[in-house]
Amino acid sequence: MIEFKEVEKRYPNGFLALNHINLEIEQGEFVAIIGLSGAGKSTLLRCINKMHDISGGTLRVNTINVGQLKGREVRNLRRNIGMIFQSFNLVTRISVLKNVLVSFVPNMPFWRKLFGVFTRKEKLQALIALDQVGILEKAYVRVDQLSGGQQQRVALARTLAQNPQIILADEPVASLDPVTAKQVMEDFKRINQELNMTILINIHHVDLALAYATRVIGVRNGEIVFDGRADEINEETLAFIYNDTKVGRGVNHHAMEAAIAEKNSIA
Amino acid sequence: MQWKLLLPKKIVLPNGKEVLEKRSVMPLIWLLLFILTLLSIRITGFSLEVLRDRIDQFFVIAQQMVPPNWGYVTKLWQPLFDTIKMSLLGSVAGAICALPIAMLAAANITKNKWIAMLSKFILSLLRTLPTLIIALIATFIFGLGTMAGTIAIFLFTIAYVGKLLYEQIENVDMGVFEAMHSMGLSTIQAFRYAIMPQILPNYLSTSLFCFEGNVRYASILGYVGAGGIGLLLNESLGWRSYANVGMILLMLVCTVFIIESTSEYFRKRLM
Amino acid sequence: MNAIEKQLQLQLNRRMSYFLTLLIVGLLFIWSISTIHVDSISNNGAKIAKNILVGLLQPDWTLLFNATTGGIPYLLIETMAIAFLGTIVGAFLAIPLAFLSASNIVPKPIAFVVRLLLIIIRTIPAIVYGLLFIRVTGQGPFAGVFTMSLTSIGMLSKLYVDVIEDLDKSVLESMEALGCTLMEKIRFGIWPQLTALFLSIVIYRFDMNLRDATVLGLVGAGGIGAPLIFAMNAYKWSEVGAILVGLILLILMVEYLSNRVRTKLVKG
Repeated sequence: MIEFKEVEKRYPNGFLALNHINLEIEQGEFVAIIGLSGAGKSTLLRCINKMHDISGGTLRVNTINVGQLKGREVRNLRRNIGMIFQSFNLVTRISVLKNVLVSFVPNMPFWRKLFGVFTRKEKLQALIALDQVGILEKAYVRVDQLSGGQQQRVALARTLAQNPQIILADEPVASLDPVTAKQVMEDFKRINQELNMTILINIHHVDLALAYATRVIGVRNGEIVFDGRADEINEETLAFIYNDTKVGRGVNHHAMEAAIAEKNSIA
Repeated sequence: MQWKLLLPKKIVLPNGKEVLEKRSVMPLIWLLLFILTLLSIRITGFSLEVLRDRIDQFFVIAQQMVPPNWGYVTKLWQPLFDTIKMSLLGSVAGAICALPIAMLAAANITKNKWIAMLSKFILSLLRTLPTLIIALIATFIFGLGTMAGTIAIFLFTIAYVGKLLYEQIENVDMGVFEAMHSMGLSTIQAFRYAIMPQILPNYLSTSLFCFEGNVRYASILGYVGAGGIGLLLNESLGWRSYANVGMILLMLVCTVFIIESTSEYFRKRLM
Repeated sequence: MNAIEKQLQLQLNRRMSYFLTLLIVGLLFIWSISTIHVDSISNNGAKIAKNILVGLLQPDWTLLFNATTGGIPYLLIETMAIAFLGTIVGAFLAIPLAFLSASNIVPKPIAFVVRLLLIIIRTIPAIVYGLLFIRVTGQGPFAGVFTMSLTSIGMLSKLYVDVIEDLDKSVLESMEALGCTLMEKIRFGIWPQLTALFLSIVIYRFDMNLRDATVLGLVGAGGIGAPLIFAMNAYKWSEVGAILVGLILLILMVEYLSNRVRTKLVKG
């Protein structure tokens, strides 16, 4: 379970990337995070596995206080959280299987790490992960010979091999064509249902978000302005989330309440 | 890397699917390399103890080279310029002659397969012979002096630039070439207007790079009597006047540095 | 000046600089010719050329197949061993130097100093190294090994740096998210990208070193250069022919093999 309590992220120059974030995500939820570029979606995601640090509030992952972790504890935290990137982030010169095997590296003894020797069991697990995303037959092919959609699935398999409890995906389908994007989203849905894995996706394509996620979070100017079921979203809310007007972000500003007050005063 | 002869290993997944993993040949290769290394150590008499004990001798001479003999500079200018001229002449002439040979060697320009293969073979042969050996032979034929060195550099440049050039020509976009042919131009003309523009920057860049290397080679050539600063180097080493050697090396390093910097500047502008 | 005339003017300017460059090169060319004495192809020279050709076509077969340490096959193997070991030592020495001179890894001042050092190492002729090392190890192939290593370092690190500067760093981000330490990131994120290309570079250099190794014999650092020069000085043309034939065959073979291996490495 992921728990944000009054989380704030302020940069040294005063810029407020995240403000007044309160969030509870249970195990097994499929959450889509939408909003403009620069609204803070990526930052939000990256705070969960401590790729970014928070400057205020508490963030707990499975009751562990993330803000207080150091060194090896951070690495241990990240073992349980998988991350998928927009640019796949694979080693293109080597085979698909070798890329997936990398996820076992932090747990290997020194000698095996040095010589790059993987056990039969690890290879088996990697192959199973590849099978789960449906590219088992490409196991020994070089990554740079695969299409974008296939490469993203390799990245997904790499994450699955980790056996995480949570998967964070930062714009996973942004560089893919519509058909492949749908396939990848289907993979996410299947993993979420079959393995009860929590999935948090940052996504630009609102239609995909609404079609696959059960819960949608709208982020605007570093604050959460919408948090509800996918079917609760309408045109008005979308327009509000994607509103481009610049609100001052160096100040503590409760956008949602202000907007509601404004709406009420007009009405 | 995989090897087709070794039988692939079968891995069976829990859900019944099978995967064939081709055995990697890498461990064998590492073993082979290891054995070759051991053999080479035996053959060359490589010995770490000797190295450790006598490495100070290396620095003894190196120390004698510093400070260099500044007064020696006056004797150096002429040979230094000789060396530069030698490489310049050889490089330019070689680069120019490389073009027609490369044309002949390119399979997509020369319709006759035998001519193409022969040209490639000649280029390969010229590249194979070490420059110094060519220079040595040249000194016997043309006598001692800079002519021999220039010939050696000339031949080497043809081979080096020629090979890179024909590889480039073979990879060029043939569409324009065919269009020109259909307009009625002869092969040579079509080459000049369709292919040359595409390969020109790379051609110039390669020739410049070759010239850089040739200046360094030219200094060695003098050792076999092929003229230039190598002769003086040979002399000074023979007389063990290491301060002179130090001066020669200093001049050489500065010259090469200047040439390489200018050449790199121009090459960046070309690409 | 309207747009068309402006374009014409540009064309003229380009033509001018083009022409100027050609002029300068032409002048340099003419200046260089002053160095040659064209009367050099004397009668004697032509005769020697003919003799060498004859010697090539009628090589001394006994020497070619002589299996003792004085024979050509052994000398060729010795030359190969020198080139092989020299390349390996050079390849290892060049790796840290390459990293130290890559401006995307170390700060610029350090990179510059290391580059300067590499230029010095590269420029000192092999002959000088040969003689220096002979003082350390005595005459023979051992000195040749180190001469080869030092002469290779220059080109090897230059080529290495090209590969290093082209590294794809995006993998490191995902390894960070996996929970990997720095060492793990280097071993599994960076190293796989480098090996195939580094190997290809080393093989290329081995090819060149083989040719240069033949030269070491001239200074007494082992290999086939020494017998060659003796034979030439003694006008024993058939011996010269035998040595040249053996040499050419060896290098052609190695070049063919190395080309095959290198394409396989790069294409996977």
